[in-house]
Amino acid sequence: MIEIADLRHRLVDIPDLAVDARHIAVIGPNGSGKTTLLEVCSGIEEPRAGTVRLLKRPPSAVKVGWVGEFPDRTLLFSRVYDEIASTPRFRHHPCPETDERVRAAATRVGISHLLDRKVSSLSGGEKALVALAAACADDPEVLVLDEADSHLDAGTAERVYRVVQESTAAHVLWCTQSMDAAAGADYVLFMENGLVQHHGTPEEVFSALEETCFYPTMWRVLR
Amino acid sequence: MRIDLEDLLFSRDSFTLRGSGTFGAGVHLVSGPVGSGKSTLALLLAELLQPGSGAVRRHGVSSALLLLQFPEHHVTCPTVAEEVRSWGLAPEDVLLRADLVGRGDDDPFHLSRGELRRLTLACAVTRNPDLLLLDEPFSSLDCVAKREACRTIEERGAGITIIFSHERAVLPRVDAVWEIEDGALTPRGSVPDAIPLWRHAPPYLAYALREGARPENIRLSDAREALCRIRG
Repeated sequence: MIEIADLRHRLVDIPDLAVDARHIAVIGPNGSGKTTLLEVCSGIEEPRAGTVRLLKRPPSAVKVGWVGEFPDRTLLFSRVYDEIASTPRFRHHPCPETDERVRAAATRVGISHLLDRKVSSLSGGEKALVALAAACADDPEVLVLDEADSHLDAGTAERVYRVVQESTAAHVLWCTQSMDAAAGADYVLFMENGLVQHHGTPEEVFSALEETCFYPTMWRVLR
Repeated sequence: MRIDLEDLLFSRDSFTLRGSGTFGAGVHLVSGPVGSGKSTLALLLAELLQPGSGAVRRHGVSSALLLLQFPEHHVTCPTVAEEVRSWGLAPEDVLLRADLVGRGDDDPFHLSRGELRRLTLACAVTRNPDLLLLDEPFSSLDCVAKREACRTIEERGAGITIIFSHERAVLPRVDAVWEIEDGALTPRGSVPDAIPLWRHAPPYLAYALREGARPENIRLSDAREALCRIRG
């Protein structure tokens, strides 16, 4: 369960929201507060006012995996192996367990062949996969993806989607500009000017957005 | 006006890109998976990279511009107006075109992502180069901003425009489609004949084709119109 009460932070203003779905898509125009909401929900930022509870706990007490839109800006280490290992290492797991976790995460994401590569030699999509493997390496309880699919082709985005579906996370908060991807979520939040304008099942939310371009392309042609 | 790729070969470490073909006047879409070499091809066409063998030959192309994937990488000046002047352009015209009137004194880094993209695209289109290369012009934009970018690209009347993109929902009207796959650039030909040959066409186009529709171009509206025609 994700519970938000009286939240005010930068332009985000959410008086009351409780979502008990696993895969939650966060959609809306650029600058509508989606990233701010994800930052508050993941504990990266403390809200100026109000509370957020994930699994009945404050975000700082929850194991959160974060995948940002620009992996270049979050990748810390020069070698792929060390980047993925940073998650278990920062949590002080023993070396043999860390090694196991790195290899398991790399296999799940399909980048075992990249482990010895330098991060700087990777393409943007490969970097996104490394960031995903690092986020998943310590089995997060909540996985947060901030437009992680913006710079990915369909095949890579599909791989990210599969890894996220198979993860053991209780909640996946996924901000995306792909309405077709959002249509596959369990729950959708549509944000505009810092407010949650619509929330509910994909059917409920997209029926309110039918006159806009925030409508899945496949739903348009299937109608 | 055209660009010929003659047995182009570029390699770095285990990455290889090869291709032949001609880019004529009009709008070209080059699609391909992440890491397939779209940005590398853009750099080769911009003559910012040299091929290992083969050649990029420009015929009647006297000016070229490459817009990078991240518009912030273009920023060199502390204000929006100076940024436009750095392109050799008058701020008034460009700000009008970019729908940024009154923002000339702002720091370019205070513009939103969509606004900065509008600014660089407006600068590039106003410069009106013979060859305009756009590396992922739609990534990280919302659908409203993507539509604006498409309109700007469609309004560019002359020259060669080449879009490198993996966009799957909001696309402009184009004249030709190319694909990069497994290290090779393959021309799929002119639209609409190229559409059924486009292996990684967006889902809505693939669906229309499966239904037996024949879209005239690659936009969502083209797929819907084609479906309407066969459904009556």
